[in-house]
Formats: sequence, C-alpha cells, structure tokens
Amino acid sequence: MARTVRFAALAVALTLACPGLAAAATLTPDAAGVVTALPAAASPHWVWVNDVVFSHMSDGQARLVDGDSGRFLGMLSTGFAFEHVLLARDGRMIFSPETYFSRGTRGTRTDVVTLYDPVHLAPRGEIRIPPKRAVTMPMMADAELTDDGAFLLIYNYTPAQSVTVVDTRSRRFAGEIETPGCALVYPTGPRSFFSICADGALLDVHLDDAGHVSGRLHTRDIFDVSADPATEKGVRLGSRWLFVSYGGTVYSVDITSRGLEAGPRWSLLSDAERRQNWRPGGLQQLAVHAGPDRLYAIMHQGGPETHKDPGKEVWVYDLDQHRRVQRIALRSPTGSIQVTRDDRPLLFAAFIGSTTLEVYDADSGRYLRSVEDVGTTPTLLVTP
Amino acid sequence: MSRFDSWMEASSRAVARRTSRRGLLGSLGALLVGVGMLPLLPVARGTEKPAKAGKTEAGHQDATQDPASCNYWRHCAIDGFLCSCCGGSAAACPPGTVQSPVTWVGTCHNPEDGLDYVISYNDCCGKSSCGRCLCNRNERDMPLYVPFRSNDYDWCTGSSVANVPYHCSTARVLARAT
Repeated sequence: MARTVRFAALAVALTLACPGLAAAATLTPDAAGVVTALPAAASPHWVWVNDVVFSHMSDGQARLVDGDSGRFLGMLSTGFAFEHVLLARDGRMIFSPETYFSRGTRGTRTDVVTLYDPVHLAPRGEIRIPPKRAVTMPMMADAELTDDGAFLLIYNYTPAQSVTVVDTRSRRFAGEIETPGCALVYPTGPRSFFSICADGALLDVHLDDAGHVSGRLHTRDIFDVSADPATEKGVRLGSRWLFVSYGGTVYSVDITSRGLEAGPRWSLLSDAERRQNWRPGGLQQLAVHAGPDRLYAIMHQGGPETHKDPGKEVWVYDLDQHRRVQRIALRSPTGSIQVTRDDRPLLFAAFIGSTTLEVYDADSGRYLRSVEDVGTTPTLLVTP
Repeated sequence: MSRFDSWMEASSRAVARRTSRRGLLGSLGALLVGVGMLPLLPVARGTEKPAKAGKTEAGHQDATQDPASCNYWRHCAIDGFLCSCCGGSAAACPPGTVQSPVTWVGTCHNPEDGLDYVISYNDCCGKSSCGRCLCNRNERDMPLYVPFRSNDYDWCTGSSVANVPYHCSTARVLARAT
C-alpha cells in the first residue's frame, strides 16, 4: 500500500511538472490482444520472399511484401531447410513443405506439408509426408502443384529419387512415385508432370484421380547434358516449359496432345555477346509474363563456371520472335527475379547475399523502390 | 554495409551455402585452375580475405595450398562452409559431427605437383551451420538432375544420423585421377 501511495504521489508530481503528460492522457487507450489480418484477396503485386536462412537453417521463413507500397505484411515460420511456399489456385490456402527435428537439429525427423490461412498467416493443419523431402539449394521444381491444384508434388532424395504426392482436397498423403535417375517436378496438366533425367531425357508421368501412376514413359533425350547442360531452373508459360543452358541456349518442352515434345531451340545471345562472355546466371534466373509473351533473364559476364553468379542486368525477350526487346539495368547484383501476373506487371529482384528487395516496372524497366530487411538469405520469389 | 560490399562478401554465398558439393571435372577444370582463372571465381571474390605480404591468413604463401582458403586447390567445386575453419580439416569433420556416408566427387588440379586428383566432398552433419569460410566454386558443376555431379544437394542424407542438418564440407583426396 505504501508503494502505491508513493507511485501516485510521483504521478501527480510528474503531471504538474510536465503539462504535456496531461494532454497525452486524452488518447483513447489501446485494446489489448489485437492482431492484424490481411485482406481476403491477395494483391497481384504481393510477393513472398522465401528464405532458407542459411546460417540458421532450422529457422526457415517466408516473408510477404507489398510491391506497390513496399510494406512488409507478415511472415511464416517454416522449419528446417525451407525451400518455398505454394499458393492454392483459389487463394484460400498456402502450402508449405517443411521439416522438423524433435530436438532442434537432431532427434526424430518429421516432414509435413503445413497448411496456412492466407488471411491470418497462421497454421490451420498439416499433412504428414515421408521424411525424405529433398534438401537442396531452393528450386521451384522441388515442389509444385498440379494445374488444378488437386495434388502437391514434392521431390524426394535420400539419395533414392522419388516424388511424394499429396491430395490437397482430402488433405492426405496419396502415395509415392519412384523416379530412379530422374529429378524434380514440372507439372504439365491437372494429372501429369515430368522429371528431368540425368541423361537429358524426361520422365513423363500421368496420374489417376487418386494420385496414383496411370502412365509413365521416358522421352528421347531433350537436353544436351554433356556439352552445355540446361539448368533445372525452368519456367512455364501456358503449354510450354522453358529452360536455359549455362551457355544461354533456350530449350522448350511443349505439352501436346501427343505428349512432351522438344520445341524450338534458340539463343539468348548474339555471336558478339557470346564473345563478350555474356551468360545467364543466378538462382531464380528466369521469369515469364503472358500477354505479349515475355521471357526475363538475369545476365552477367563471366566464364562457364559462373552459371550461378548474380547479374546486374535483366534481358527481356519476345517469345514469339525469339528476339531481345529490352535490357533492364538493375541497381544491385541480383540472383532471383519474379514478374507479377497482372497486366501492369512488377519485376521483383533479390539476391541471397543481400537483404534488400528491389521493385521495378516490368514493362518499362523503371526502378520503383527498395524494401530493406526482407530476410536473411532470400532465395525464391513467389507471387500470387 | 553497402549492398555492393555485401555482394563481395557473399557472392559465393550466392549460390552457396551449404547444401552440397560435387565435382567431376576433368581436364577443362584443371586447365582453368592452371591458367589463373581462380581470382575470377566467385568464391575468390567473395570470401578470400586480403593476404598480407603475399601470405594467407594461415601464413601460406600460396592460397592454393591453404586448406582454410576458398582457393585451396581441392576446393575447385565445393559449396559450403570449409571444415578447416570449423574445427576439422580438409579431410576430417569437426568434433561431434558425423560424416555423411554418401557424397559427390570432383577432380581438382594440384598446382604444387601438377597432378589431378579425385576429390570427395563429404559433408559433416548433425549440427547447425558452422557459418565460417563459406565457399562456392562451380567448376563443372551440373544441375540437380545429375545428382552426383551437383553441388546443390545437401549430402547430409543416406543415414539416420547424417540426415539434413548440415555443418560444413570436407574435401578428401580419394586417388590420383587417371
């Protein structure tokens, strides 16, 4: 009681000595326990910055930024060796393949697909999957949704190679498909995908409605693995997957009624540019935009072993004419790019060695803004 | 730190960091090392500390002979934290970690004796990232669909004790390449 009296006397003394405090007391008290929420519909200009947090890999994160305002909107905690989130086609769920250990960095390994509510960024459930999810430098093809979103496909490496199939409708593990000699997942329809095999051929897999294999075949060799390998960092535009080799050759894989077919090959580089050692590079080095169909590629100058190096330019190509239509100068070295899907697209640029996200107008190439501290080691950019 | 400085420091990190190792190589990679391409490699740019009076931090005259240097000849295709900087060595894991039973192999050229050697880039596993001497060099590195030639896998796999948590990478000599 004596202490209370002393505090009250002190408060009165402070109020008399500092008239400003009395004015401040007119503010309405803030309610306790208030937590913000996001709009029900995501903006097409939002971007998920996925972060494996290399120096502390048990603490993977996915961080959400509004490209228009530069506001940081919130984040997810996504476990060990995190790669990237997947957004449901209807925008009502976020899927995240995750790994946990019972004692932090040791103990029993548990792999799950965590289901997050995109309004509250909170976990709403999980689907247990076999503890064999591949742990790699994050790649989009480590996990993908089929075209209708009914199945989530996750690449496994133990080092045996396989694909985990998760039914997102029933929220259950549907099964595992062995893919010996072939890696990663590239969806080609509502019930199909391919993996890339070590000899440069593709494994073309079709599923039934339960997520089990209904057909599979190997294509002839598509990629020239020995001379100039195509990276695994493919991008899809409609019925075509596009891959680029270390030396800048574009490979197309067309999804046709007859199956997967090799499309036209062409080069990002002129002979003069090739002599000047220009080449594509980076972790997420390609992006596409439909409309006038465009391919965006991070470019730098360097030797053959620099195929993972960042670049300070993005070259933009007309995919119908196979010709470059623009060179965008970037402010900073960039290893990951993404272009939003809307008709006034933004170009996002990030780098694993920087914590800053840069935003450009994807049509004009004009720099718009930078967002600081978007992560620790940003890897893959995912847009709605 | 400016973004440029950050890039210089982390250029190797760029791709790097932990995941894994690989190799394969052959005469081309060996040739590149031999003709002075090293200073241009992202690793060299990114992680090498300035040498004083021509010596490395460990006192070596030649970084290609310093196991704690990204330019160490065995590191021609490594991707991760160097175990030599983490309490281990080029061939041994640090205390309390477990060496992965599976790995990827490369071939590196040793400028000291002029020979090529097959290098096994075993990861050391079971603890959080060491975080020291990050190094990424990609001579003859292949995409993930050629696993045993790709340094982008986490090779902490293949057993219950070497399962995901990556600490650092070794670069063991297996044999002379023929």
